[in-house]
Amino acid sequence: MKILIVEDEPSLREIMVRELEQEHYVVETASTFDEADSKIAGYTYDCILLDIMLPGGSGLKLLENLKGAGKRDSVIIISARNSIEDKVLGLELGADDYLPKPFHTAELLARIRSVLRRGRGGADTKLRFGNLTLDPDARRVEADGREIPLLKKEFDILMYFMQRPNHMVDKVALAEAVWGDHADQADNFHFVYAQIKNLRQKLAEAGSSASIRSVYGFGYRFTDDAPADEE
Amino acid sequence: MKLIYRIALRLSLVLLPLMALWAGLFYYAIVDEINDESDDALEDYSELIITRMLAGRELPNLNSGSNNSYSIVPVDEAYARTHPNIDYYDADVYIHEKEETEPARIMTTIFRDADDMYYELRVAMPTFEREDLLRALAFWVVTLYLMLLVCVLGVTLWIFNRSMRPLYALLRWFDGYVPGRGSDGPSTDSTIPEFRQLNDAAAGAVRRSEASIEQQKQFIGNASHELQTPLAILGNRLEWILDNTSPDRRQAEEMFKMKRTLSHLVRLNKTLLLLSKIDNGQFPESSDVDLAALLREQVPTYDEIYEWRHLTVSMALPESFTVRMNDSLASTLVTNLLKNAYVHSPEGGTIEISAEGRTMTFSNDGSAPLDAERIFERFYQGDRKEGSTGLGLALVGAVCRYYGLKIDYRFEGSRHSFSISWPEA
Repeated sequence: MKILIVEDEPSLREIMVRELEQEHYVVETASTFDEADSKIAGYTYDCILLDIMLPGGSGLKLLENLKGAGKRDSVIIISARNSIEDKVLGLELGADDYLPKPFHTAELLARIRSVLRRGRGGADTKLRFGNLTLDPDARRVEADGREIPLLKKEFDILMYFMQRPNHMVDKVALAEAVWGDHADQADNFHFVYAQIKNLRQKLAEAGSSASIRSVYGFGYRFTDDAPADEE
Repeated sequence: MKLIYRIALRLSLVLLPLMALWAGLFYYAIVDEINDESDDALEDYSELIITRMLAGRELPNLNSGSNNSYSIVPVDEAYARTHPNIDYYDADVYIHEKEETEPARIMTTIFRDADDMYYELRVAMPTFEREDLLRALAFWVVTLYLMLLVCVLGVTLWIFNRSMRPLYALLRWFDGYVPGRGSDGPSTDSTIPEFRQLNDAAAGAVRRSEASIEQQKQFIGNASHELQTPLAILGNRLEWILDNTSPDRRQAEEMFKMKRTLSHLVRLNKTLLLLSKIDNGQFPESSDVDLAALLREQVPTYDEIYEWRHLTVSMALPESFTVRMNDSLASTLVTNLLKNAYVHSPEGGTIEISAEGRTMTFSNDGSAPLDAERIFERFYQGDRKEGSTGLGLALVGAVCRYYGLKIDYRFEGSRHSFSISWPEA
């Protein structure tokens, strides 16, 4: 899988490259409009991560050029300008997704995986990890083909974990992702623990090979390694 | 005090001593003139008497009907030398025909006849009563003063109102001006250079303030946008360390704390962006939003998050409470008021959400009133809460300003209460 990162900020570019290479993607970079334009014109990528504000021009123009040339590379716009208008415009121009800065690494990886799956032509948007399969559209989870009945919050939490397998997940970030902005001032996380407890129990009962591990009491890691919490 | 009243008061105050001075001068001028006339008449009369006496002719009758009177007294030479030949003075004289005393002008003349005998002739002529004159004068001065005042004030008012019309137009324009909303400037149809100058100065000042507000808005927007990339870098690097370096417990804890601080920063930045977008009016699309439904949907989530606080929530809402707003701003408004109530309620407290007519009220227990003047300012916080941006109520205020909604904060019976009123649909 070949990915092009178009980003003018060197430090962000460098960390993004490192993260993507860790996931075994082949990564190329471009830091200016012209550099990106010639790379897009000359090569084909499975996915292009496109910053909008670039030295020398707008990322949206690159997107227009790309689609104008009839190329079918997937594009995820990564922009500091989180405005509805930009998002609508980008998607209208043919971008596959829009990720506002600042973003979590896991979020970026999840979006790339999702875009690549769609790009492969399959309408298969299912997430798979261990013996678990999660279908976001049908809101259905299966372990080895047997459905696990989950409540809404439990499903949302599991989906969050399945998009970030093997990544360390902060319980605060998890709370904000699942409960939304409402949870950003919570000073007690019992509501998270309660849901995690139920979810763990249901996963174990269904014979899931993956489980939610506690990490030092302030985070989690979803993994199918040998059990035993880190500490 | 309004300018016109001040002018009227000053005119009245200035006219008062002026009229008094004028009355005084007038009085003395009249007295002087009357005395002068009387003295002339007395002189003629004396001359007539002296001429007749020296000529040995019959003296005029004392009762000639003119109320004039005279007396001739022989005096010795020493008296004649020590007294002035002619002297005028005022005195009261008894008049026989009227049988009363009247003020009179008196002239005394000392003359000598052919026999070297000295005589003093005293001629008296009834004259005006000074007190009467003074009284009459005082009455007329007061009357004139009042009439003059009415006339002067009336004319001044009329002229003032006509001439100052452009000033009041400018003031009305200033009243209606909302900083940051833009304006065409005051109408400049006055032909008077001073008013044109004033209008130009006002228009210039407003233009400059609009420009600086615009600049400030842009600055906040740009600064927030510029921060997004460094924030992304920091977050991604922290996540990389957490995922790839197997930190020990202490290190992981520190990094999680950094991440939380970072996400606080991200939230702060997002909220500032949202605020500047609201202030810039970037939420044009409105639709009918049912706030009651929105609240019924959100309250259970908050109940779940704040369950450990054992709060009691009572909602007295109608089936639907529909307002015309941008749906994301409606959600911002309701969410922030709701969150505010939950976050600031003491353990075991009660939250009440009610609606009456077009007014929705959120109230929760509290210990001390907040500064109602500053509560909707950015970063105003009654008590500093960790993780709070201090922008929640500023957002509420900004949304209300944007839609011209009336928002009220009260502290009654140890309860904070926020009411928002929509105009009648």
